[in-house]
Amino acid sequence: MAKKSNAAVAAIPKKKKSFKDICRDNIGFFFVLPWLFGFLVFKLWPMASSLFYSFTDYNLFKGMNVIGTLQNYIDVFTTRKIVTALQVTFKYAFITVPLKLVFALFIAYILNFKIKGVNFFRTAYYIPSILGGSVAIAVLWKAVFRDDGLLNTVLGFFGIAGPSWLSDPDYALFVICLLRVWQFGSAMVIFLAALKGVPQDLYEAAAIDGAGKWRQFFSVTVPIITPVIFYNLVTQLCQAFQEFNGPYIITQGGPRNSTTLISLLIYNSAFKQYDMGMASAMAWVMFVILMIFTIIAFLSQKYWVFYSDEEG
Amino acid sequence: MKKEFLKRAMATGLVAAMAFTTAACGNSNTGNATTDDASTTNNAAATDDATSEAVDSTETAAAGDGSYENCTLTISWWGGDSRHSATQEALDLFMEKYPGITVESTYSAWDGWEEKMATAFAAGSAQDVNQINWNWITQYDADGSVFLDLNEYSNVIDLSQVDSKFLAMCEAGDGSQAGIPISMTGRILYWDKTTFDEVGCEIPTSLDELMACGEAFAAYGDDYYPLALGEYDRMIFMVYYLESVYGNDWVTGDTLNYTAEQVTEGLEFIQSLEDAHVIPSIATIAGDGAASLDQNQNWIDGHYAGIFEWDSSASKFQAALEEGREFVVGDYLTGMGDYQGGFSKVSMAWAINANCEHPKEAAMLVNFLMNDEDAAKILKSERGIPVSQSALAAAEADGGLDGIVVEANRKVLAYVSNSLDPYFEDSTLKSSDGVYYDVMAGLSYGDYTAEEAAEILIDGVNAVISQ
Repeated sequence: MAKKSNAAVAAIPKKKKSFKDICRDNIGFFFVLPWLFGFLVFKLWPMASSLFYSFTDYNLFKGMNVIGTLQNYIDVFTTRKIVTALQVTFKYAFITVPLKLVFALFIAYILNFKIKGVNFFRTAYYIPSILGGSVAIAVLWKAVFRDDGLLNTVLGFFGIAGPSWLSDPDYALFVICLLRVWQFGSAMVIFLAALKGVPQDLYEAAAIDGAGKWRQFFSVTVPIITPVIFYNLVTQLCQAFQEFNGPYIITQGGPRNSTTLISLLIYNSAFKQYDMGMASAMAWVMFVILMIFTIIAFLSQKYWVFYSDEEG
Repeated sequence: MKKEFLKRAMATGLVAAMAFTTAACGNSNTGNATTDDASTTNNAAATDDATSEAVDSTETAAAGDGSYENCTLTISWWGGDSRHSATQEALDLFMEKYPGITVESTYSAWDGWEEKMATAFAAGSAQDVNQINWNWITQYDADGSVFLDLNEYSNVIDLSQVDSKFLAMCEAGDGSQAGIPISMTGRILYWDKTTFDEVGCEIPTSLDELMACGEAFAAYGDDYYPLALGEYDRMIFMVYYLESVYGNDWVTGDTLNYTAEQVTEGLEFIQSLEDAHVIPSIATIAGDGAASLDQNQNWIDGHYAGIFEWDSSASKFQAALEEGREFVVGDYLTGMGDYQGGFSKVSMAWAINANCEHPKEAAMLVNFLMNDEDAAKILKSERGIPVSQSALAAAEADGGLDGIVVEANRKVLAYVSNSLDPYFEDSTLKSSDGVYYDVMAGLSYGDYTAEEAAEILIDGVNAVISQ
């Protein structure tokens, strides 16, 4: 019977689709076409080009003489300056990401309470995220941290001789890290949205069980918002490894390369030395490192991220 | 049916709008990369819309010494505010003199300018006329393909106004005249006399006196120094010292003329200045948190009382000083050695993009900026003391030249006896992450001994000149 039915269906002649039908069926493609064009031309093509260049000695003004070499990748892991930049970048990311997340969550938690003028504070805390990479902030930061700047002047009132924040290699990275942590606004807004979504009845239940505010925070709030913490962790990690503006506008990578992040070195290699091959290789190494960290973060999810649609 | 039509119309409209938006964004970005809208100068009075559109027009008009096509030219330069406004004024005059030619300008401060222009040169998208550093010819136009050979337009540009030995400095590797020098410059000492008076120290004219000043300044105040030298300044000062002692140019052709021992001696000399409180350490200057010495509060208020700077930069440093402080041009120090060390070089030059669609009109613009008497009266010494005889005569007659710049320039050109190789300013060496910075900061921070620093410096220089 089924066989017969199939044969009958097959026997029905297929109606040829009109141009109008094809257009209607594929209208979605027309909508994504501008994006697709942009993606292919401005993302995929440059990425493919840079992958190719990373295996060459391509220099903007000397051209390309060697193709298919691994020398750039060997140099990335053997050149002192690049290895130092990688170490500084790791240090920078591992200092700023946790600090920024903790700070953003803490402020979001406070701003989630019904306090007077809360909208003003939310806006005020978000502003640094907008201004972070501007030249004006660089000037401000230098005015605060220079030897006779605001910070050392304040420390001087308490009889403390402040260090040379900008010129001492042991402190300069701290200044750059602080700039990043200060720009916690965007992460804060996301946390704030997540906090708003925590069901109130869970707090009520916890309160009935005798949980105080801190216990409620660590045993109710944090577990519920772990997906958002995870999201912020991944995005902040990516942004930290790609950070460029802070060291570029404040210290130019100095003193003694103590704030030279890999992104700054890529820029210098590409646009000061015109060594596009080496710059591309560094960029790809950075890409792979970032990918590894992101994969680790995703794999770790099952141990600490709670999704409400999961069983148990 | 009507509903279906509306849906389709909306869908088509949305796609069109998105495509248009994407295209618009693309145009906007490209525009930003090449031309600053805010800096575009259009002479509306002299050029109506129809004329300004006539980029490809073959319409010609008689003007001055010849004919020209109506067109739009682009020009780029770097500098400070006074140079920007003077150049804009000169361009307005050019457009007035040559109705039908519109000039669009792109300009900025020096920071990041070379990176921007280098990529434009590599992409062939640079402006028609460009103010260039003389070493850009060697670095970006080694085969003569980036800049136009100005000899081809010697009937438009009066090259005879410039000394042939200066012109020779702007030749590309293939012998073409890649640029025309605007001015010559060299490094010279400038002093804040007010501070010297306060400290009770005479302005030094010899090396011994300079060393003695270090002691006097230290006694006056720990944060007072007779001279301030950044990393690149230290490099030039070291070369000045070595040339004074040994007489040789730093580099000739592809040969570094100094041995490891001699370079070590030069670096030790620089370190001795720091040890004697003549110059602040690199860490001290970095701790000031200023982008450059002229913006450094310690220079502005006289804590740093001397600089070793290009003669063409004098006005910038003078203008930065607090009101009432006396700024004077110093003399080259005696007792440095048996030779008159130091070098002069082409301060900057005008060059025409080899891809320029209107090379003759671009050449007219270069000739105007170089040699025109009225332009010279506007531009004065904004780009240093002009090497063009006609421009110099006009600017001098007008009394528009900055006295300090004139004095410094004359002292430099009368004293220095060495030549500078164009590779000296190669970005691999000179940029903030280059070899000079590494060596001089490393030495000052104590990361390198003088011997180690000398080895790094020699390797770095040899790597560049061997290419």
